[in-house]
Amino acid sequence: MPMTGREYAWKRRPGWWLRNRRYLMFQLREAGGVVCALYGLVLLNMLVQLRAGESAYTAFLDLLRTPPVLYLNVVLFALVVWHALTWFMLIGKAQPIQFTRQPLPWKVVFGINVLLWLGVSGAVVYLIFGGI
Amino acid sequence: MAASDVVFRVKRYRPESGGRPTFQEYTIPYRNDMVVLDGLNYIKDHIDPTLTFRWSCRMGICGSCGADVNGQPRLTCGTYIRDVHKGAVTVEPLSNFPILKDLVVDFDDFLRKLASVTPYIVRKDWGDLTKEYVQYPEDVEAYRQQSLCINCMLCYAACPVFGSSPEFVGPAASALALRYNRDTRDEGADARLARLNTRTGVWECTFVGECSVVCPKDVDPAAAIQTLKFLATMRHMRRLLMPGSSSR
Repeated sequence: MPMTGREYAWKRRPGWWLRNRRYLMFQLREAGGVVCALYGLVLLNMLVQLRAGESAYTAFLDLLRTPPVLYLNVVLFALVVWHALTWFMLIGKAQPIQFTRQPLPWKVVFGINVLLWLGVSGAVVYLIFGGI
Repeated sequence: MAASDVVFRVKRYRPESGGRPTFQEYTIPYRNDMVVLDGLNYIKDHIDPTLTFRWSCRMGICGSCGADVNGQPRLTCGTYIRDVHKGAVTVEPLSNFPILKDLVVDFDDFLRKLASVTPYIVRKDWGDLTKEYVQYPEDVEAYRQQSLCINCMLCYAACPVFGSSPEFVGPAASALALRYNRDTRDEGADARLARLNTRTGVWECTFVGECSVVCPKDVDPAAAIQTLKFLATMRHMRRLLMPGSSSR
């Protein structure tokens, strides 16, 4: 923004996102988005390895089963879950489409979204594994 | 320091001498019913008349007295010292704005953004100005929440997106755009949505939500922006699929 000569330009402090808990949660949500995209690349690579043949695919699966990758997966999964949950919270707070005269409490919308999410996830698991 | 004293750490910037802003400490007597603005006025009246800050109504209506109190944007007239008094009360100018002097920041950029969303009723034809434009209670209720905005700029100070992209139109201007778009007397919705559906418009918002947390009037600008995203998308699709459609 244009400034006059004697104004002091505001500068954002490093670590601004540690200033309060909500900024930190926001940054984790955004990091979760990046992780989602990166994990998509891992899954794409799995397809590439599958196309490359059985030995390549088996080697890739063996790599995924090593402890460092498993630990990494736990962290990535936590970030992805946090990303999804925070978006479900936000849907309830915004509600661009209202189905009722008054906006629904955000916790109700959050609960509906989580139930739908679990339902769809369960259906996907059932389709792939034929039940757990 | 007496038991009933409190230390104010106030950020000072003296444009005439240049340099960086620095903190200055003042010890003032305080009562349980004092707000931060009372403390600043005590300093100005009894200790240091050069301390500069804005204020007017002292009742949370004018929106002039915003400052970062202990790192959070607040109206100093509505913040009791007893609620923020943890050893000291730190008062700084609102984040994300250039500082003019001490706690006074430059709002010109916000005013330009506010003007860009035409925050008033727009009509193609005013017709008979003696006629009453009737609104029912439910019509008023549609925009009542956004109409409570007092332009205090706390939402801009809390918004990290505005901090990193100063060209972002921002929370308050967006909320006021929605307020007029929802007004049954207004005919300027299409132009406002066109303005907000730009690179510097509502799409910059990543829904941090802090603007709604700090808003002293519960305007909920974060929700207003998400609603505007939806309306801007609908407008875009309508223009794409039905080029001859009407504006609203």
